[in-house]
Amino acid sequence: MLVKIGLSSLLIASVLFATSAKDEDMSKWLRPSTVPQPKNNKLTKERIELGRYLYFDERLSKSGKISCATCHHPHRGWTDLKPVAKAVGHAGRVGPRNSPTILNAAYQKHQFWDGRAKSLEEQALGPIEADVEMNMPLDALEKKIKSIKGYRELFAKAYPGEKITAKTIAKAIASFERTVVSTESPFDKYIKGDKTALTTQQKRGWKLFKGKGHCTDCHDNFNFTDGSFHNIGLHDGELKGKELGRYNVKPRKAWYGVFKTPTLRDVAKSYPYFHDGSVKTLTEATAICGNGGRFDRNVKNKSTYMKDRHLTKQEITDIVAFMEALSGPDVDVKIPTKFPQ
Amino acid sequence: MKKIIFGFVALVLVNTVLAAKEVIVDQKNKTFIPHSVTLEVGDYLVFKNSDDFAHNAYTDDEANEFDIGMQPPGVDKKVKMKAPGKFDVECAIHPNMLLEVTVE
Repeated sequence: MLVKIGLSSLLIASVLFATSAKDEDMSKWLRPSTVPQPKNNKLTKERIELGRYLYFDERLSKSGKISCATCHHPHRGWTDLKPVAKAVGHAGRVGPRNSPTILNAAYQKHQFWDGRAKSLEEQALGPIEADVEMNMPLDALEKKIKSIKGYRELFAKAYPGEKITAKTIAKAIASFERTVVSTESPFDKYIKGDKTALTTQQKRGWKLFKGKGHCTDCHDNFNFTDGSFHNIGLHDGELKGKELGRYNVKPRKAWYGVFKTPTLRDVAKSYPYFHDGSVKTLTEATAICGNGGRFDRNVKNKSTYMKDRHLTKQEITDIVAFMEALSGPDVDVKIPTKFPQ
Repeated sequence: MKKIIFGFVALVLVNTVLAAKEVIVDQKNKTFIPHSVTLEVGDYLVFKNSDDFAHNAYTDDEANEFDIGMQPPGVDKKVKMKAPGKFDVECAIHPNMLLEVTVE
């Protein structure tokens, strides 16, 4: 069973599109009409509603002051707009990485910057348990949620016959997260045939994005990610004392210092950039990626995609203007003011 | 007599080497081509890279575990199949790439 997101409008768009772009198959850029769901956790209204409460509920943390939304807030591009989760984690602790947006995470096969979780359900419990984040042992979490009558009732409706466990809590949060998907951006309108949806500068940026800039080598398909992992050369030489990325999951040579390609959907809303949050602006990020990485030489295991494309300042500005057209209206989500008691 | 035995062993070894075949799998447009192969124990899986960027191939299958490391464009890498079984091979850089291998 799949969730339908304006299927009819998508079909109309496809027809319009087919007649407006004869030379190039642009269908891969269209937002999908469905959201992937695992067999054991199909979306229902009850599950989404339960997940929404859990997502925003600070009682899921040991301190009672941190929720999922603390670092992934809908009004902050589904991140926290900080380089790393500074003074946000338990007792003001600092996480080592930038909080990634959860927008369109439903379409990704690997979760976290290092891809260590293979589903939203698996991902959801990580930050709850992490001592630098919500610091809540899972047995204590289960006990707390079970003790709240309102949650017992919501779980009974959402997952009848299933006990309240860390797994079902994760399933509910994942269900809510599957509703956090891109809304229609100017780029989507353009792709569907509205040639006025992008400015002249944005159209130049789109051409550069696919062409000279080679941005699509990594930021490909509707979600503007290849779902892959790359070392983009933010540090030179050996990464002693620095982040090793996916290499920490398993020390494969090809995983040395690599991180997941992030989506560029709504990217203008989710600054700062890169896994370490070291870059404040899209202009700087584009200059780094488009010109071969922060360090051009002596980077161990640097991606072969990272080459100097000799982009001019004007071309970088054009590409940034294009990426700003990838933002749609904010996802319509009602932030709870009252929680189950 | 010793010479005869040595000769026989050498012949067997030569035949074994000659019998081992190579199955070529290309990595092109971020896809393994073909996407599934069948080999016999002792055969070689030869990975090519026709893309203009690096690839990799690895499996965590216990009996046939391998990891060819970073594979630059145009470079071939060869892996010997050690034991019968079915397993998946992935590219560590592009996890959407999948190759199904059967060793008989």
